[in-house]
Amino acid sequence: MNDPLAHVLLIEDNPGDADLVRLRLVDGKTKVDVNCVKRLSDGLAALKEKLPAVILLDLNLPDSQGAETFRKILENAPDVPVVILSGQDDEALAMKALHQGVQDYLVKGAFSSSSLERAMRYAVERQALLRSLEMSRRQQLEFKNQFLSHVSHELRTPLTCIHQFVTILLDGLAGKVNPDQRDHLQTILKSVNQLGAMVRDLLEASRAESGKIRIEPRCVEIGDLIRQAVTMMQPVAREKEVGLEVGVDARIPFVCGDAGRILEVLINLIENGIKFTPSGGAVTVQASLVQTDPDFVYISVVDTGCGIRPEARALIFERLYQDPNAVDNSRKGLGLGLFIAKELVTLHGGRIWVASEFGHGSTFSFTLPLYSLAKLLFPVITYQEKLRDDIVLVQVSLKPLIKPSRPGWKETCQRCLEVLQRCVYLDKDLVLPPMTTDGSEETFLVVASTDMKRAEIMMTRIREQLGKLTNLESAGELRVSAQAVPLPDIATGLSLQDQVREVAVTVNEMVRTALAGN
Amino acid sequence: MTNPKIMIVDDDPDLRQALRLRLRANQFDTVNAGDGYSAIALAYKEHPDLIILDLGLPAGDGFVVLDRLQRDDKLSTIPVIVLTARDPQSSERRALQAGAAAFFQKPADNAELLDVIRASLSNSANRPVLPS
Repeated sequence: MNDPLAHVLLIEDNPGDADLVRLRLVDGKTKVDVNCVKRLSDGLAALKEKLPAVILLDLNLPDSQGAETFRKILENAPDVPVVILSGQDDEALAMKALHQGVQDYLVKGAFSSSSLERAMRYAVERQALLRSLEMSRRQQLEFKNQFLSHVSHELRTPLTCIHQFVTILLDGLAGKVNPDQRDHLQTILKSVNQLGAMVRDLLEASRAESGKIRIEPRCVEIGDLIRQAVTMMQPVAREKEVGLEVGVDARIPFVCGDAGRILEVLINLIENGIKFTPSGGAVTVQASLVQTDPDFVYISVVDTGCGIRPEARALIFERLYQDPNAVDNSRKGLGLGLFIAKELVTLHGGRIWVASEFGHGSTFSFTLPLYSLAKLLFPVITYQEKLRDDIVLVQVSLKPLIKPSRPGWKETCQRCLEVLQRCVYLDKDLVLPPMTTDGSEETFLVVASTDMKRAEIMMTRIREQLGKLTNLESAGELRVSAQAVPLPDIATGLSLQDQVREVAVTVNEMVRTALAGN
Repeated sequence: MTNPKIMIVDDDPDLRQALRLRLRANQFDTVNAGDGYSAIALAYKEHPDLIILDLGLPAGDGFVVLDRLQRDDKLSTIPVIVLTARDPQSSERRALQAGAAAFFQKPADNAELLDVIRASLSNSANRPVLPS
């Protein structure tokens, strides 16, 4: 008979205790095959060979003690039930283990054959139950995602139909519209657009929940993004007579992130700000650096609105939460916006939070990781504890011949980047991550530790190699140029770190100018 | 000069009508197909200057249509704009790789759609004719 307890892995370094367990197992009704090892490392190796039905685990082993022992085992064999063999004096630890996923514990010397067998059987049963619960949870999540994806698709078709015909009427394609009718049609259009946004949020939230949102991080000019978001929201603010302003430190370095997603977060926060701020108030978007947290940029959306009650503040980023006391004279949404914003910021490695005093406005803030050029540059432009003698910035621009760019333009750019990576010396040159652009032109930048003469050779190589790419010629126009990077004066006695930092600032400025010139 | 001819492929008759009204108002001629099979047949017969293609279609979905168009020397030069209710995250890349010139999720912004239609038409007009 194939008994579920057929194979047991016993990890126990004390020979006396091991023998006792074995004895109890032999005495039991079920025939059990025991593999006994003395060290955690041997136990982990045995798990790789063959997964046992149960693991009997002593916590204090020659190569691992206490909580560390069961953590390692659970990590390596998450699906195998574990029963701990604890000493009289460490029951507290055994209890802790139970909370972290261990199935049961037995106090050494205080258990019989039958209680050992029962502990093992129950452990196996409970583990199986947990596994099937987890599986059905995943299935349900998947089902929900599919359902929402289907629903949002189905909702979009009639929505499109309304949108199309309303705009046909509004544009006068079906005859003249009088001012009253125009007003009513505008109201319909606004509602349709709201509905469309809700459908999108529904799908996005379910995706966030199951970790299916993808971000494509690039090097992003955050000031530009903020200005873009503000320009997009300006009509909404104007309509409500709420001021909308920008305060961005001009010298904020590039940020590492997905421009489209960051824009989504900004728009969401600005929209909320306007929504909860009465006419005559103001919403301000700021970006600044904080000395105590030098790897991040802090972005805040400050409003002079109604503020948020303390009890609501903790819940506001939860899915579907809406403050029941919020003074909101516009229509309510689904309560998904801040949840999605939080997920997006978290995916970027940032944090999001709110500070507010009820009745006196709110400040929503989030952080995004700075793109640290100095860190990337350090190993490339230093040699034997010194800055290299010559550093050149090579710029490779690719402009699509036709607009909008052809299908596959993104792929072409990706392939260019790969080719470029092969044209440089790994430890001497650095290909910068791609910059966000408006999509009209792709610019790649290489910081090369070389002089202008060698840079010429490098540029020829880049032209040759990129020229070999199929379709490149028909897809875009290639321009390659180089300029020397001015280096800091060594005589000023700057430390190497500071020299690199200064070069990074210079390169940042050169990149900014290069991109602005496009 | 004759107006450019645009083929609208969508299984929803109301949406076809809406697009037709919009395109005619902008000096385009239109022909219609409601499923994948008739879309391909009509493309052969009418040889439109541009195709607006839905993805979810009966009798051969939009990807089948794209594939068939790409495999025909004469039809592969016709720019195809995908206009679908499907989610861009799951379909946009696939559509562009299959040869679509642009991807729009419904409901699309009219001005933007018209811009891309005009740009695609002028691109394909300027495209050098390869010697066969």
